[in-house]
Amino acid sequence: MVKTSLATKAVAVTLGVLVIAGLTAMPAQAAPKSGLKIAIIPKAINNGYFTAWNKGAQKACKEISATCKYMGPTTATGPAQVAFINQAIQQGYNAIVISAADQNAITPALKKAIARKICIVTSDADITDTKSRTVAVLPASSERIGAAEVDWIAAQIGNKGKVAVLSAAATAANQNAWIDAMKRQLAAKYPNITLAGVYYGDDDATKSAQQYGQILTEHPDIAGIISPTTVGIRAAAQEKKSKGSKVAITGLGLPSEMAPYVLDGTVKEFGLWNPIDLGYVGTMAAAECASGNLKQANGAKFTAGGKSYTQGANGVVYLGDPYKFDSSNIVAFSKIY
Amino acid sequence: MTGRNVASTALKAREFPILVALAAVVVTTGLVNPTFASSEGISAILIESSVIGLLAASQSMLIIMRQIDLSVGSTTGLVAFLVGQNAAANIGVPFTISVVVGMAVGFAVGIVNGFFIAYLGLPSLVVTIAMLYVVRGVFSQLAGGETITADQVPAPLVELGSGSIFGVPYLFVCALIGAISVTLLLRYSRWGRDLYAIGSNPEAALRVGIPVARRTFVAFALSGIFTGVAGLLLLGRFSFADATSGLGIELYVIAACVIGGVAIAGGVGTAMGALIGAVLLQTITFALGALGVSQFWQQAVAGALLVLAITFDRVVAVRSARRVVRQVEVLA
Amino acid sequence: MMALQRLRLTAWDRGIVLLLILTLLFGGMFSELFMAGDNLNFVISDVSEVLLIAFPMALLIIVRDIDLSVASSLTLASAVIGITYEATLSMPIAVVAGLATGSLCGLVNGLLVTKLGLSSLAVTIGTLALYRGLCFVLLGDMPISSFPMEWTDLAFYPIGSTFLPWSVVLLALFGALFWYLLHGTRFGRWCYAIGQGEEAAAYSGIPVDRVRLLLFVMTGFMAGLAGLVYTLRFASASPDGAMGYELIVIAAVLFGGVAIAGGIGTMWGVIAAVLVWGASRSLLQLAGFDANALVIVSGLLLLVSVAIPQLISRLREQLGHRSPRGGNPTRGEASLPSGNEVVHPSPAGAGHDQGSN
Repeated sequence: MVKTSLATKAVAVTLGVLVIAGLTAMPAQAAPKSGLKIAIIPKAINNGYFTAWNKGAQKACKEISATCKYMGPTTATGPAQVAFINQAIQQGYNAIVISAADQNAITPALKKAIARKICIVTSDADITDTKSRTVAVLPASSERIGAAEVDWIAAQIGNKGKVAVLSAAATAANQNAWIDAMKRQLAAKYPNITLAGVYYGDDDATKSAQQYGQILTEHPDIAGIISPTTVGIRAAAQEKKSKGSKVAITGLGLPSEMAPYVLDGTVKEFGLWNPIDLGYVGTMAAAECASGNLKQANGAKFTAGGKSYTQGANGVVYLGDPYKFDSSNIVAFSKIY
Repeated sequence: MTGRNVASTALKAREFPILVALAAVVVTTGLVNPTFASSEGISAILIESSVIGLLAASQSMLIIMRQIDLSVGSTTGLVAFLVGQNAAANIGVPFTISVVVGMAVGFAVGIVNGFFIAYLGLPSLVVTIAMLYVVRGVFSQLAGGETITADQVPAPLVELGSGSIFGVPYLFVCALIGAISVTLLLRYSRWGRDLYAIGSNPEAALRVGIPVARRTFVAFALSGIFTGVAGLLLLGRFSFADATSGLGIELYVIAACVIGGVAIAGGVGTAMGALIGAVLLQTITFALGALGVSQFWQQAVAGALLVLAITFDRVVAVRSARRVVRQVEVLA
Repeated sequence: MMALQRLRLTAWDRGIVLLLILTLLFGGMFSELFMAGDNLNFVISDVSEVLLIAFPMALLIIVRDIDLSVASSLTLASAVIGITYEATLSMPIAVVAGLATGSLCGLVNGLLVTKLGLSSLAVTIGTLALYRGLCFVLLGDMPISSFPMEWTDLAFYPIGSTFLPWSVVLLALFGALFWYLLHGTRFGRWCYAIGQGEEAAAYSGIPVDRVRLLLFVMTGFMAGLAGLVYTLRFASASPDGAMGYELIVIAAVLFGGVAIAGGIGTMWGVIAAVLVWGASRSLLQLAGFDANALVIVSGLLLLVSVAIPQLISRLREQLGHRSPRGGNPTRGEASLPSGNEVVHPSPAGAGHDQGSN
């Protein structure tokens, strides 16, 4: 391990030097420059969702001949991510693609990076201060993600009954925005569905499973559970399978992890966007930015993988609605991510 | 001999208030929310207490001799992951191999801890905090973003995680067997009584010829094996393992011991008490939810109850110690 | 015996300072990025919370107590700072409230330990959960991030044209203060005396419980101060902040040569240890090691730091330089605290043992 790391480092440093030498010589052009150094920072490294996200990022890097390093903390907290933002600053990276584990705590560190002319792109999860990054590449608007999940559960429980939400951490910004959207969707479209409560599994499989138990103890008549996090929905599905309950489960999950539960009928349908695309487009946007081709501007466009993406307000780019998985397509998708 | 009998009565008395507290929590909550005290409700509590309970039972052995092991969370997770990975990589491998793998990994960490603590004389708190980091780091490196999912878990473990006998979940049966065997071992074997002697007064124990270092080493090795079993239970319970498995559970384990009357100062308590402590801890968590206490208040209330339980236990311990002293005086 | 312990201790102390110098030198040679002002600024900022809490924790461990609730106290102080600022729009009031919260957390721990005779390890595991829970009660799912720029800029910009972060002022001030307290005052000598034998200390007229209570309050106060630094550095107050810092602080203090069995340790060792920890992490990261490797190295550093002095003293014993401590029968066997009676109704033996040695 030590040997490879040192070797990698040597290569990285050499490339870095070449890159910097190359950068000063080349004029700005329409396509992203080759040989950029991009830091890919997930919320936490030991997480299957981010492994898929990084797959997309690395694919983009290969296409534009960038040197990309996937680096991040072992636990998903903002303060823990800051050390890696600092690393990217020290090592002279040209851009950072980050999924914010905390919507506020990383902002000061990102500002320092911007002061060093490093392009910041948030991908998957954004920060509150939209001036502290160029663009945010997000799956879809919170409204649509929240509403879609409510629609899925409503269809499964016949538009009436009690539902609970099994979320990630209480402070998870994405999840909180989606839950707010769920509440609005419930109020607007489903008067006969009541929200029994929001439970927090902290994106920890053990805690999530225990929270599932809590939900069933507190609300024996629960009809459905929405879990807008890949860790939560998988834990809930496993619990339902081993304990045999009638509760309907939906939310956001990885097809590869959820396939067994869909095939045996534990879960009927759930959804997700493609994390590979998120990582891919985020990295392409970062490369465009680092090449001087992309700034935050309402309506500005950039291309990634032959597709054109347009910035909305505050530099937010949406990739599209979550995709729904059921027994008809799960096998195919489970092989991809 | 009489003194020992009196002492063991006092030990029993230490667990009594915890059982009363447990019954009180179950009955009151059950009256408010009948599902809570139903057989499913109770079975859910027992399932959730099993892993922590088994770890607490084996930890009690160490705390009784004034040692501590904070590396159990990392080791439990590592075992769960490795067993799952091993089973997935060798489809059709006999289940016993998985069990042996799990226990061997736990045992390995246990003897490393034991070596540093018993033979190099290093403080267990320091060694096991260090091992907490080392084992977790190695574990994360091995696991990366990989997850062990239900279809990779050996079938007998899945059965262990979900089945029950006479309404008692298998998982809890395992924890119970573990706690009973440690309790009996400590009460009736020479080896076990030595642990109490070491915890009560280490210098005196050494002077009367108890091989303190060897006892310490074996206790850590044995505790490592139990940790390995706990890892198997964890895998069975969740049919899932990843790099975060077992993260942070060490403090719950210690808390369960303390609530269960295993004094941090050593020399006092039983493994059964520790198991009951784990059940009480879990019951409180579930009860708060069942009573409609908001999610955000639950941890605060649980923490306050924990402090209360420690205080209460202290009062009882002081009282029962006074009683022992009095009784010994009378007998003398 | 005292003199000899000091000697051995100073040796370790020098060792760790030497290690710090070597780390910095090696760092400088290995990578110029490491010695860049910018990076040193980050390293110092990054260890500032841990170091601020390590000062009083060293004293607490020297008297054979421990506080596992510090990270929760830190976060609770941060939450109170956030809530108070939102309510009053005055940072000075918020800061005072935060520091008071930290001190109160320490006071509660201290009272439970000294007045009720409970084990500090057990009590602070309980308050760890309690204080963290209160953070969620106060903030719920809404972190606060609306702090005034004048204040967050303090954590953002270095002092003048230097690379030093403003937190250095606090580190220097309180480092000097705690150094003097431990090594230059009667109070400090009391701490060592209590750590070496509580009953003997009590008999010689030292107000044992008052000293311990005061140390808990100091630890709480410093956790509150660390909470302020944390809040400003991340420009936010979140209920799940500083998770797991308690073990980092304790590990750093032990790494600095403070004996968990009490009675031994110096402030220099602790300060150098925290800096070595921070510098080596930064170095490893710049060398391309990932987060998992950092975790492993943290653990190994801690293990080596306690194993080496022990091995050296063993070696000395074998070479015939038997120290008076070598005559102590518990040395070299399992390292255990010298026997306090357990379940002893008198307050002297009550629940003060860590048991965890």
